[in-house]
Amino acid sequence: MSKIGVFVCHCGENISRTVDCERVARASEQIRGVAFATDYKYMCSDPGQALIKKAIREYELDGVVVSSCSPHMHEKTFRKAVEEAGLNPFLCEMANIREHCSWVHEKEETTTRKAIELVRLMVEKVKRNVALEPIRVNVTKRALVIGGGVGGIQAALDIADGGHEVILVEKDPSVGGHMAQLSETFPTLDCSQCILTPKMVDVGSHPNIKLYTYSEVEKIEGFVGNFKVTIKKKARSVDIDKCTGCGECQLKCPSKKIPSEFDRGLKNRTAIYIPFPQAVPARPVIDREHCIYFTKGKCKACQKVCPAGAIDYEQTDEYVEEEVGGIVVATGFDLYTVGEQGPYPDYRGYGEYGYGEDPDIIDGLQFERLASASGPTGGAILRPSDGKEPKSVVFLKCIGSRHPSKGIEFCSKICCMYTAKHTMLYKHKVHDGTAYVFYMDIRSPGKGYDEFVRRAIEEDGAVYLRGRVSRIYRSGDHLIVKGADTLSGAAVEIEADMVVLATAVMPQPGIEGLFQKLGISYDQYKFANEAHPKLRPVECATAGIFLAGACQGPKDIPETVAQASGAASKVQILFSRDEMLREPVVAKVNENTCIACWYCLEVCPFKAITQKEIRDRKGNLIKRVAEVNPSVCTGCGTCAATCFSNSIDLAGFTDEQIYSEINALMAVGQDLFPEPGKEEGESPDEQAA
Amino acid sequence: MSDRTEGIREIARKWLGDGTVEAVVGWEQGTYKDKTSPVLIRTPEEADRLLFNERCTNNLMTYLKREPVRGMEKVGIVAKGCDIKALIGLLQESQVEREKVKVIAVTCPGVKKDDGTVPVKCRACDVNTPTFYDEIVGEKVDSSPEPGARFEGLEALDAMTPAERFRFWRGELDKCIRCYACRQVCPLCICSRCIAEKNQPQWVETSPHPRGNFSWNLVRAYHLAGRCVECEACETACPVNIPLMLLNRAMARTVKGAFDYEAGKDPETQPPLRAFNLDDDNSFIL
Repeated sequence: MSKIGVFVCHCGENISRTVDCERVARASEQIRGVAFATDYKYMCSDPGQALIKKAIREYELDGVVVSSCSPHMHEKTFRKAVEEAGLNPFLCEMANIREHCSWVHEKEETTTRKAIELVRLMVEKVKRNVALEPIRVNVTKRALVIGGGVGGIQAALDIADGGHEVILVEKDPSVGGHMAQLSETFPTLDCSQCILTPKMVDVGSHPNIKLYTYSEVEKIEGFVGNFKVTIKKKARSVDIDKCTGCGECQLKCPSKKIPSEFDRGLKNRTAIYIPFPQAVPARPVIDREHCIYFTKGKCKACQKVCPAGAIDYEQTDEYVEEEVGGIVVATGFDLYTVGEQGPYPDYRGYGEYGYGEDPDIIDGLQFERLASASGPTGGAILRPSDGKEPKSVVFLKCIGSRHPSKGIEFCSKICCMYTAKHTMLYKHKVHDGTAYVFYMDIRSPGKGYDEFVRRAIEEDGAVYLRGRVSRIYRSGDHLIVKGADTLSGAAVEIEADMVVLATAVMPQPGIEGLFQKLGISYDQYKFANEAHPKLRPVECATAGIFLAGACQGPKDIPETVAQASGAASKVQILFSRDEMLREPVVAKVNENTCIACWYCLEVCPFKAITQKEIRDRKGNLIKRVAEVNPSVCTGCGTCAATCFSNSIDLAGFTDEQIYSEINALMAVGQDLFPEPGKEEGESPDEQAA
Repeated sequence: MSDRTEGIREIARKWLGDGTVEAVVGWEQGTYKDKTSPVLIRTPEEADRLLFNERCTNNLMTYLKREPVRGMEKVGIVAKGCDIKALIGLLQESQVEREKVKVIAVTCPGVKKDDGTVPVKCRACDVNTPTFYDEIVGEKVDSSPEPGARFEGLEALDAMTPAERFRFWRGELDKCIRCYACRQVCPLCICSRCIAEKNQPQWVETSPHPRGNFSWNLVRAYHLAGRCVECEACETACPVNIPLMLLNRAMARTVKGAFDYEAGKDPETQPPLRAFNLDDDNSFIL
């Protein structure tokens, strides 16, 4: 006879508000094999855990059911407590009566009954649990950082300074990301390049950092501690070792009319180009889509002038494999673009602003380039259409953001601050100009942030108007901005020389493809999800993968850097041990019944299954069967579900256990096939096939 | 049909004579005049027992998965286009090695059921002239699948409410006597130990109680989802006339709709239930 303990948690009031926890405990006592049952307000707290440990010793329990929240939340907590009391941690299971019961039902008799059934089902399972021992695997102490913006740079430098090798992969020809495009940064107005470029140089020269620019992550296999990553080095068409970065090729390239990505289309670049002078590596790349040689077959001007003989038109994409133990995802953001076309097809709009097609309607990053000393105008604020100095500039906040009718509900967080900064930069350069800001709210929490906004308004004279703009249209030399000042209740019409839209911060277009390769989840906007919004904001639910920066949600520079250092610290915690303990919840193949159809091998997302040959003593092949590598298996169960010969069992979720759980439920469910003589019940629709 | 019979015998004689194969699986005259039986021919002299006519309904591929054929180094097998679909399924699932099986394909204008009617599979046939074989006999027969024939009968099921549909299947499956003939004839029921015979735990109740009957027939249908080649062997073999093909074709229609896949077409493609494609329809979760 089993001696199982049932511990019913109130979760403060989260459970007890709708479930009679005391009754659940009393009813649990009646289940065959339960030796002890009790309820407590916070089972996860220290006294709660002490209660479990005491009962294990006192009643010599051989199984524990904690009836509380989701295993996702506290399974580790309780298994650890059980282990401390001398019981194998895998003899502890959780019955989820919070998410599966109290949170989703009203306070009714049936709610408590359901909680009891959930406990009964887990008791039946625990009776068939067996002690499992953790699996030990080695940890590869090298990290992969994906994305070379300030987040990726910080994470890479921290891990590298901690003494571990780092592979840094950046899709663009240079590291730097969006921060390299910025002019000054809030709230101190220090020059973005001045604080970032030294870090870029560090990344480029750090002995522990292997930099792959113009490269993308192609494939990821393996698991925490033992990832195998395939990196695609896109053909640069320039031999980066021979090239000295002299820039002769750029001067001679005849294809000069390509809108520069770095200058956000405000300036043109050549087909062979170094994205910006401070690029790391300061080596050019040929944009094959626009290069005259690649499109028309003739030219080779760059090859003729290159003194180092570094131009290589024959270069092809190269694939390299790297083994790493932990991964930091720092893929950053891009700005939502107003318009009929754009990288975010689900969020097109703003016909009322002429889809932003007027050259004098620009976005925040374009303004950064205009204000930047390294920008297309050398730092002079000149409007794109005719190069005149704008005397009146209207800044519109919340373009896309907080605009459910445009499909985006979130706040982009950084726009309030950078718009205030823009008005200051503008005023510092155009003393007789006026900056108008249309805003919904001013959100400036942060050290020195609100003071900064006050300074923009009070000292630099930015005119803040609370309201939205209904229309922008051109009238001769001006853009007419029609809006409302909801504080005075008046309609406002401003003759503007230039309009700056603070458009929403969005994840990189198409980034979900990478997230799928990594096996991490993302939200409706394709921002990566953290493991827990409050307590595990840096980790992904997938072990060994960490997040840094705006790929997770809109963030400013200090937050990104802080999170990047957090991610780096998490990676170093992972690397602090030579061996890692893995959960023994892994699949096992019954070699007697395996029919070698290899469905499991194909569906395993972790490539944990291989073919094994069974031979007799003379070496004759008897049969082939599937074999699971327990150090790679994550226990996802896909193989077990796919195996139609029923030859795979998952430790901790064996057929026997699942069957007894279902049976426990069937005991209380409606019988679809009553015995003859008894009245046939009307089958409920959802139960019928 | 007689030229097809002659063609089959000739190839069988040659293969058996020169040792290309150890045996040939084919059809011979049955005990009753209007029936045929599967036969295993081991010598060139016996080859004259082989024949082909419109009563050759059996799908012989099912013999590839059991002894003695399974253990043979090389075996010849006579097959209609529809039977070859099953071979393709077995090849995809590594149950048969292509080099071990030599196929004598027969072009087929269609077969007839015991009651003289034309089976759905023949009315919907798109492989009257097989394209996957080692040798082929018979003159070319063009395929002209009758529109709508393949999924006929499913509309009636679709039109039912879930409760009505449950009652319909309850009525049909009540008849099941659990003889497992459907399993034995199915060329793609390949497990060496069937889940119906697993008793720890016993997922499928073994007595012919409606509960076990539902478990068995539904498990069988699910196990054939995306795999069933619609050869109708199960329905033909069923002694109590359960319309098993309705279940199988309903699954095939779902797989076709979700993955644009038809079983038994191409040995190189991956069956959808073990392939992953970023473009797969995931509307059922999102």
